Amino acid sequence: MEMLRTENLRFQYEYEEEAPTLVLDDLNLTIEEGSFVALLGHNGSGKSTLAKHFNAIQLPTGGRVLVRDMDTADESLCLKIRQTVGMVLQNPDNQLVSTIVEEDVAFGPENLGIPPAEIAQRVTDALQLVGMEAYRDHAPHKLSGGQKQRVAIAGILAMQPDCLVLDEPTAMLDPQGRKEVLETVRRLNRERGMTVVLITHYMEEAAQADRVVVMDDGHILRDGTPKEVFACVEELRAVALDVPQPTELCHLLRKAGIDLPSDVLTVEECVDALLKYKGVGE
Amino acid sequence: MSLLETRDLVYTYAPRTPFEKTALKQVSVAIEEGELVGVIGHTGSGKSTLIQHLNGLLRPTAGQVLLDGKDIWEEPKKIRAVRFAVGMVFQYPEHQLFEETVYKDIAFGPKNQGLSEEKIDSRVREAAKAVELSDDLLEKSPFELSGGQKRRVAIAGVMAMRPRILILDEPTAGLDPRGRDRVLRLIRQYRDAHNTTVILVSHSMEDVARIADRVLVMNGGEVAMLDTAANVFSRGEELTEMGLSVPAVTRIWMELRKRGLDVGENVYTVAQAAERLLPLLKGGDARVD
Repeated sequence: MEMLRTENLRFQYEYEEEAPTLVLDDLNLTIEEGSFVALLGHNGSGKSTLAKHFNAIQLPTGGRVLVRDMDTADESLCLKIRQTVGMVLQNPDNQLVSTIVEEDVAFGPENLGIPPAEIAQRVTDALQLVGMEAYRDHAPHKLSGGQKQRVAIAGILAMQPDCLVLDEPTAMLDPQGRKEVLETVRRLNRERGMTVVLITHYMEEAAQADRVVVMDDGHILRDGTPKEVFACVEELRAVALDVPQPTELCHLLRKAGIDLPSDVLTVEECVDALLKYKGVGE
Repeated sequence: MSLLETRDLVYTYAPRTPFEKTALKQVSVAIEEGELVGVIGHTGSGKSTLIQHLNGLLRPTAGQVLLDGKDIWEEPKKIRAVRFAVGMVFQYPEHQLFEETVYKDIAFGPKNQGLSEEKIDSRVREAAKAVELSDDLLEKSPFELSGGQKRRVAIAGVMAMRPRILILDEPTAGLDPRGRDRVLRLIRQYRDAHNTTVILVSHSMEDVARIADRVLVMNGGEVAMLDTAANVFSRGEELTEMGLSVPAVTRIWMELRKRGLDVGENVYTVAQAAERLLPLLKGGDARVD
């Protein structure tokens, strides 16, 4: 079943004095329920604008966006759409509203008018899901970046969405925090069947998704499994994106005439391919 | 004599309280003129506390910070001069832009140094050029710029003060790959052009591996390593134990060696890895075109 769908989506920013800038140009994309999709593209490629269309923060200039067949342009569906698709942003400090973790997580469901007993249950569940229940009574501003971001995710989970859209959630975190957040997101996808759309500049994170969509200049440039997409090393380079180092290494060696597979993504795969080529350990 | 030195530097947060925490334990490092030093360490390793000592933002609990061999706290009233000599670009420096125009924002530092209008103008233009900001951007509001441009304006603001030592805390955080490559290239160019000492704090081992002459590894408030990038990354296993993520190519190297392929000492960039692997893969094997 489809979770998100864009049909000929066009979006432009309008200015009073200058000509409008076209950000999304006739974009067609379908995201299936339960999938984990990474969205890549350099700054200005339109990926954040696209993400904002997924829960009606921004509305199309042309075409339409459907969230479980609900048209985001229909104002009467707005609340339902935002309960279906939760959004997590880059800076955790901008998303925390309260001085105690559990109150922060309760903020969303309170605004949805959920009865208090159920809110308490949802807060407990959400904090457990992100591995932060031990910090229930703590002050969010004293947590590490990764912990804060997990609390922000819990705040969204407490509204029980079916789809999470995360816009560079790890960009401001240290390697440890990045790992925590990514593991949390992957677990939600695998164990809870949560649909995940992850925008990131870290190619190792994108490599863990089921599907990678590369955007450039308001279009979709590539769409496929991480192996398919990262095999296009030169093309990604041309739009100022990285490929994972193991992929790049095999690409360089292949160009020099060494017969290695083109779909290597991880350190382990790269080591295996090199040893196999060399005939070591066979 | 080194340009900048710390001797047995100790710093304790909240001393004599239940929250007392010693963030630096007897740290002694020496940094030479014109060097580009990368500082790595996970959160809580003491790296930020260390750099905040280098321009006198924190005062040592014990030990010394020496600039040109002179204790910077010898005359506390002159600490301002130290802050002009040691320029600091904080994390997400674009959050600190505040002037009406890019020009005025870059001019803020030199103006506070009491330079003449003429001199300020030449400093602003020079710094803008160093970070590749075109002239037409100078009269724009900094808030109209893209994230990458704002970051470069903020860096130019510190460069315009012509510090002898330029410290940058996570200058590439949150940038996309293109913005990151550009900032790293500009920092390196600036050092090469002015022979300014640069200290770059980063979580990204790949960034540090690419541009640093020497790498300082902090762990638990102590100096774990201070050596060339090659020597530091040759100790990949130790870095991993400290919870640092070594570059993926270094991990490939460590794994190849573990599984019996003699690949020599660790590499830390993809280009190096390819160069070293090629003869190894071609040699003694018939499967070459």
